[in-house]
Amino acid sequence: MLRRKRFWFAIIAILPTFAIFGWVRMFPIIETLRLSMFQWNLLSKNKPFVGFDNFIELFGDDQFLDALTNTAVIAFGAMAVTIPASMVLAAVIYHRTKSRFAGFYETAVFIPHVVSLVPAAMAWKWIFDAKLGPLNAAIVAMGGTAQPWLFDPVLSVVCIIFLVSWQTLGYGVLIYLVGFRNLPKSVYEAAQLDGASGLQSFIYMSVPLLKPITLYVSVVTLISGFNVYTQAYVLASDTQGAPGRQVRVLVLDMLENSFQNFRVGYAAAEAVILLSIVLLLTAIQFGLLRQKGDR
Amino acid sequence: MTKSLRTGKLARVARLTTALILAGTVSAQAQDVVIWGGFPELTEYYERVAGSLSDKYPDLNVIVEPIGLRDHEKRVALGLSSGLEDATVLELIGSTANRYIVNDLLSPAPDNVANFVNDNANFEGFFQETATVGGSVYGVPVFRGQGALFYNTDMLAAAGLDGPPKTMDDYDVYASKLTQRDGDGNPTVSGWSLRLSGGGGGIAEKFWINLHQYGGTLLKQVGDKYQAGYANDTGLAALKQYVNAVSGEKTVTVDMPADAAAFQRGQTAMFIRESWVIGDTAKKAPNLNYKTALLPRGSIALPVNLYVSGGSDKAQQAAWDFAIAANKPEHLIWMLDNVGWLPNRSGVDYSDVVAAKPQFGAFVDLPDDYVFFTLPSIEPINEILTRFAAKLVDAYADEALVGNDAAMMAVLQASADETNAILDRAGILAK
Repeated sequence: MLRRKRFWFAIIAILPTFAIFGWVRMFPIIETLRLSMFQWNLLSKNKPFVGFDNFIELFGDDQFLDALTNTAVIAFGAMAVTIPASMVLAAVIYHRTKSRFAGFYETAVFIPHVVSLVPAAMAWKWIFDAKLGPLNAAIVAMGGTAQPWLFDPVLSVVCIIFLVSWQTLGYGVLIYLVGFRNLPKSVYEAAQLDGASGLQSFIYMSVPLLKPITLYVSVVTLISGFNVYTQAYVLASDTQGAPGRQVRVLVLDMLENSFQNFRVGYAAAEAVILLSIVLLLTAIQFGLLRQKGDR
Repeated sequence: MTKSLRTGKLARVARLTTALILAGTVSAQAQDVVIWGGFPELTEYYERVAGSLSDKYPDLNVIVEPIGLRDHEKRVALGLSSGLEDATVLELIGSTANRYIVNDLLSPAPDNVANFVNDNANFEGFFQETATVGGSVYGVPVFRGQGALFYNTDMLAAAGLDGPPKTMDDYDVYASKLTQRDGDGNPTVSGWSLRLSGGGGGIAEKFWINLHQYGGTLLKQVGDKYQAGYANDTGLAALKQYVNAVSGEKTVTVDMPADAAAFQRGQTAMFIRESWVIGDTAKKAPNLNYKTALLPRGSIALPVNLYVSGGSDKAQQAAWDFAIAANKPEHLIWMLDNVGWLPNRSGVDYSDVVAAKPQFGAFVDLPDDYVFFTLPSIEPINEILTRFAAKLVDAYADEALVGNDAAMMAVLQASADETNAILDRAGILAK
């Protein structure tokens, strides 16, 4: 009797949390899945069922394929930059923790992660400016050629990869620092006794031991990369006429299809594809990086 | 003593609570009207209009919330589809408002407003039509976007050019002569600034303005349906001019400073833009020597109207009164003089402003055969412009297209096919 009462008490206690979770998290996903099967212009009362037509059309749509390619390049590019850079930076900071500047190093690396993205992107937009930016000024001063960073189809994508990496780096470093602090010291001492150098210890011990951390950081970075929007939007936004090349990314394409082209079902189909890609890649990452014997 | 102290504290708390509740009630009685605009430079104009209503509505609280046009369009789409709590005055281009009207998300204006709009002494038929759908008035015309050529008189004089270009061939010659280059031949000041980058449909809209000068149109209307109208000689002429300027003669490059900011800083010699540049330049570059000129054939005209949605009947009435007050001559003259957008209302004497700022001449002193066009009120207009713009960006920068008419026509044909597919999907393709 008491056990049953406890059971119902637990159910009632957890119900509000489940209800909020269901309403805030699950309902939008289910609604997006449902909407992807309809043709709806956001305004009309008519919402005809079109089955998989939106998905079929998407794979013949140049703009969507362009957005998908750009987004994938940015996401994987940012991950390729962030993982090694944050691991190395974390290692350097960790092994310099006795320095009185250790706190400063950590803060300096982490600050981009907490800075509001719009003003940060605006600042980078100025840095990348072809005619007035300090980056080109420095390149020219060193004898190089000024580059149209925000206008060239390849360089504009590189700029966004840089911005995404710049922002996620601090978070990666922080997580790796936690990882470094939890590594068993005895293993390193044994390696030192066996004559392993610092670099060898890092490559052959730290990197494999930090695999779970790498898994976590790579998943977070990849998801964040696939959701890139603000950087692409700000770098090509201006009230004047030479703002920069619009790098089409998935979220931007979705927003445009929803609220400018009024094709909500079509945008929902894009969202479903984005969700599927992120879930699939996350599963693959878990498969690749899960340590043997882990469940 | 302690009890008395407690009672005193309790009384003070009760009085404070009552005061707060009363204050809240008074605040709730104030009439909130929100103004959603896509042109931040008009903020002061709307605030002046709000101030002029204080006698009639002492409790009127007008909240002016302007943001950039692209974001404004998204905000309106979300706001109207999910419902607006406060009475909101929406600043919308007629073609954009139409999609909300046909979906019953905007209500017709009350009779007094309709009478004001339909009074021929107030507005010409063109502006009345843009505010009317199915015989009912839905909005109040306010101002319009209309293009003209802005040119730097000092630069033209230095290049030995007398007066502005008059034909599209002249534009090429002028652009070539006006471009300033460094020792390596790279342009440092563009001869003619063109819209070459950025998001949204602006690039296609600007292309349409040039296409119009060649006698072409982006969308050809056949009855109540449309088809792509640019995969032809006029489209080829317009595209050829762009490609030659960007990738051929390089009188302008994609990464050069452009538009009004470049013009005001002396980084371009001429460009086509709306009249707001005059007000903007007066503030940012008051010593710039420049004039304006008519375009060879005609201009785009994008009438912007005020619509009302949300709020109580009383608040809506205040919002509509705001829309009418926005058309008071003193406010319109102020807007023309200080912001530079062209008011649509007839019968207002703007001569003092035009005399003081002769650059307005190319916007108001128009020959009878000057041809206007506007964006059609069709649902997929934004998608058509955005997709065509993406194709144009690539074409402008493609050096392989220089001198290759067949390749340029292939680009236009591929884009036209896409445009027609969009029109077909929307059920408005003219076969």
